[in-house]
Amino acid sequence: MTDTPTACARIAEDLLAAAIGEASPTAAERVERHVARCGSCRREFDGFRALDGTVAALRREALPSGQVAHAREQLETRLADLRRRLLAYRIFPSALGHILIARSELGIALVEYLDRGTSLRSSRLGREPGVEAVEGGPELEAAYRDLLEYLTGRRRRFEWPLDLRLARSDFQRSVLHATSAIPYGAVVSYAGLAHDVGKASASRAVAQALRWNPLPIVIPCHRVIGTSGALTGYAGSKLGLKQRLLSVEGIPTTVGSIAPSIRSEAMYVLYPGDREYCVPTCSSLGTRRPAPLTRFALREHAEAAGFMPCTACRPDLHPISR
Amino acid sequence: MSQGVFDTVVLAHHEEIFRYLRRAIGAGGDAEDLSQETFLRAYRAFGALPRDANVRAWLFSIATNLAKNYFRSETRRRRAYGEVRATMRESTGPAAEAELQSRETGALVENIVQRLPLKQRLAFTQRKIHGLEYDAIGQSLGCSAESARAHVFQALRKIRQGLDGHGRVSEEPPR
Repeated sequence: MTDTPTACARIAEDLLAAAIGEASPTAAERVERHVARCGSCRREFDGFRALDGTVAALRREALPSGQVAHAREQLETRLADLRRRLLAYRIFPSALGHILIARSELGIALVEYLDRGTSLRSSRLGREPGVEAVEGGPELEAAYRDLLEYLTGRRRRFEWPLDLRLARSDFQRSVLHATSAIPYGAVVSYAGLAHDVGKASASRAVAQALRWNPLPIVIPCHRVIGTSGALTGYAGSKLGLKQRLLSVEGIPTTVGSIAPSIRSEAMYVLYPGDREYCVPTCSSLGTRRPAPLTRFALREHAEAAGFMPCTACRPDLHPISR
Repeated sequence: MSQGVFDTVVLAHHEEIFRYLRRAIGAGGDAEDLSQETFLRAYRAFGALPRDANVRAWLFSIATNLAKNYFRSETRRRRAYGEVRATMRESTGPAAEAELQSRETGALVENIVQRLPLKQRLAFTQRKIHGLEYDAIGQSLGCSAESARAHVFQALRKIRQGLDGHGRVSEEPPR
């Protein structure tokens, strides 16, 4: 007895699946029974099976190694170029507004306050020449968490590798390096920082370099203030943020005034090169100029930075009362 | 961006993606360039890729998209169609008969695969040459796993017809 053409048509799909090993056991069995008594379907089945064998051989064929090597070499060159210019970014909410964090494969390259929106369009990232920005992944969340910890006073340092290529000049990079060295809970003046980078008369240029700091908070430009103690400026016109960051670190500022400043009378002082910190009225300070001073809000922060109480004014015995 | 990890991805998959694209767009096309483009795109998105993602299937779907875009250019489609017509005339001429007989079946299969409609060719190559799952193939083609399977089966039928010399392989231009 042979099957009718209708039976052959009905089994055609399963027949092909069985010939290439993709049929369920029941379907395969059905096909086997059918081809045992239908010659034309048997030939069909064998044909597909042979084709499957031919295709399996193609699968094992390798490309000429020269072609692969050439393609790989070209790829490596293009990838290296892309790696140099790619920055992955994420935008996070924070108590200071939306913050964009971007990193390259060298390290964190940009922390930016977004004041005109919450998308890449409101960031300087899209306008940086030679930079390609892409949305980043979970590796940026760790940076965001560290930032939140800092803002709530639970973190004093950032252990991130940094990429300073967005800095505009070597001078700016040298200013940023010097700023990184200002201890937590301390402030220095623009003039003092200019002195540190070997350009004592360049305090305006220093202020300008910090205005374009690509890594605010991480490179603590908020710890740099005017010689008079006035907060002067921050990231354009964000003095309120500067005041807020300083208060996170326990640095007292005048509240409610148009030109806020630190309360220097309530801060310990340190001269460059000294190992001892003093109260501001210490007789050992004499008539030394105030510009290069580092000021600490708390003894704890001065001592965490490796400094000792002065043996003349004994801030350990007579701390400043707040 | 984890440089070391991505280097491993390139090492593990570049050759395979290159082979896939050579079949997808033809050896005379820009398979080398598209294989590089696949990995450049992958690198851009790698940071945001979920950790448990199937990297290989993901690379195939990027390569598949590039192949589809490649043929979206009208001139390329015309050129590919022209090449197909030329090949077909050649393979049906009497002089070609003897040559075909002497050629290995594998080469003939490759030739027929080149003349399949694009989706069938992409589905067939992913499944039968690279062994991908129908789910992944469907995702790369923007269709269901069932449709992906139907494309593969359709391709196999056409290849058999081509081999048997019965009927004609589709004259649709690759899309």
